[in-house]
Amino acid sequence: MTQQAIVSGRGLSRQYRLGASTVPALRDVDIDILRGDFVALQGPSGSGKTTLINLLGLLDHPDAGSVMVGGADAESLSDDERADLRRDRFGFVFQTFNLVPVLSAAENVAYPMSLKGLDGRGARKRATELLAAVGIADKAGVRPDLLSGGQRQRVAIARALANEPGIVFADEPTANLDSRTADAILDLMQALNESRGVAFVIATHDPRVVARARRVVALHDGQILEPAA
Amino acid sequence: MTRWRLAWRNLARNRRRSLLSGSVIAFGFAAMALAGGFMLQSFSGLKDTAIKSGLGHLQFADARAFDGSEDTTLEYGLSRAAALAAQLGRDPAVAVVMPRVEFFGLVTAGARSIPFMGVGVEPDAERRGSHIPGTVERGEWLAAGGRGAVLGGGLADSLKVGVGDVITLLATTPDGTLNAVDATVAGIAAVSVKELSERYLAIPLTLAQELLDAEDRVSRVSVLLRPDSQEAATGARLLAALGGDYPEMTVRRWDELAVFYGQVKRLYLGIFGFMGGVLVVVVFLATVNTTLMSVTERTREIGTLRAIGARRRPLVAGFLAEGVLLGLVGCGLGALLALGISLGLNASGIVMPPPPGFTRGAPIHIEIEPLAYAVAAAAMLVTLLLASYFPARRAARAPIVESLTHV
Repeated sequence: MTQQAIVSGRGLSRQYRLGASTVPALRDVDIDILRGDFVALQGPSGSGKTTLINLLGLLDHPDAGSVMVGGADAESLSDDERADLRRDRFGFVFQTFNLVPVLSAAENVAYPMSLKGLDGRGARKRATELLAAVGIADKAGVRPDLLSGGQRQRVAIARALANEPGIVFADEPTANLDSRTADAILDLMQALNESRGVAFVIATHDPRVVARARRVVALHDGQILEPAA
Repeated sequence: MTRWRLAWRNLARNRRRSLLSGSVIAFGFAAMALAGGFMLQSFSGLKDTAIKSGLGHLQFADARAFDGSEDTTLEYGLSRAAALAAQLGRDPAVAVVMPRVEFFGLVTAGARSIPFMGVGVEPDAERRGSHIPGTVERGEWLAAGGRGAVLGGGLADSLKVGVGDVITLLATTPDGTLNAVDATVAGIAAVSVKELSERYLAIPLTLAQELLDAEDRVSRVSVLLRPDSQEAATGARLLAALGGDYPEMTVRRWDELAVFYGQVKRLYLGIFGFMGGVLVVVVFLATVNTTLMSVTERTREIGTLRAIGARRRPLVAGFLAEGVLLGLVGCGLGALLALGISLGLNASGIVMPPPPGFTRGAPIHIEIEPLAYAVAAAAMLVTLLLASYFPARRAARAPIVESLTHV
């Protein structure tokens, strides 16, 4: 792991069972995510983009290899310790937004802060600030089902930033959005990356994401075609 | 956002399902509270009946008489009964002292002779301490020092006698001599147990002692205590105070002597325990199904919350909170339902059929027992916690990636 890497993967392999057969999703991948990175994971369906994000984001365990976070091997951590790492250091943005439907936009954003023990008033204040930063301060009290796709993804981004993570993992964040909204979401991610220094790792098919990325990691059949920087 | 507010919103997410589960809990609660209330009311009634049937709260007698090892009447009777009764009556915890002679004999009226189970009692003390005088439905209760007799309805029918008729009582004295006295039928009692009604006969204590040639002797002394007296402690204290004068005497509490009460209590506990168990299983199956559906529908949400840093335990606690809230609302509705049904049934005047061996039924009455309500609420809440825990635990332990891709 280099000095600047926030998360590193070494020799990462992962395979899935499909009935009686085993399908390799990732094969011996090495990757470093640096502070302030803006990385696009590019590749066709089944190339291993989501699997790599899941492993780097500590959502899944590799069959071989290791993920290093802050110098520690994540595989040696307990389930609760991995949850705490995700809460404190990572943010996640999903293709289908994955907001909690019974919570308002502000409450969705405040939820990770409450997991960290921030008091209700402090969490609400910061949630309002984050919603303002993503351009939907006026939607703070609105529940997700009354928001548009773009607004929901903005709420999801605000939620991902709730605990000031060093890195945000986004899995196809523009796939469910029209092109204009997708551009706006990418503008927002880029601005947050530049203004806050938050690293973004984006798994995508979208050429617009690739065009904006500072670094592109191309995957094919579970392997990186070009060496990670 | 507190856990409870979130739980409430999650319950409101699928109102129809929550309403259905709440209804199951409400009916389960109401059934348990009503059955429990009926059971506790029955125990209370049986206890009162047992104590007021002449047992009293405490009985003093020779230990051998309690053991049933008497071969002849009053073989192990207590002597100096009047002094013993007076001494017991002076204790501040004692409300009524009821000395009694129990004996067997033959009652004759005209050409008919029938065996009876007799009891000699202090008429005034019985009036204050037992419900037997109140069961006289024709004629009147005994008079102190008189020569009257009260017969069970069945015995009077068999003898074909009525109030005012003269009967002859024959019995064997403690020394084996046959003795007889004449008595006048003063009253006829409605004895609820049929077999007892055909054998029951009560006469004043003095007449019984004359018949048995046993002056100042009794079989036992029953004592009714004042409310809030501690039965065991009072019994021990009284025995210690009297033991020197009556070395063979011992004391028994009413529940040690009321065999029928113990049998009925065990039977009721068995029946209602089984019923309660069935109810709990039904509520468990109904609510676990609902929780399972709810958890399954929220699998992706659970995966998301775990992805953004929620630990497993708080997630499970969230589902438990939903179970508790649902349980509290269901129990609240169930309590209202149980109260309504209790008040309705108590006002209906419906008479329950007589229990086996009894001759008369009683109007249905379901006591509103806080204990029954508390037990029902505890059973429902524990059931809901279990019904919530297992599906939630399973969902929280599922791999995050699997949960996130759940459709």
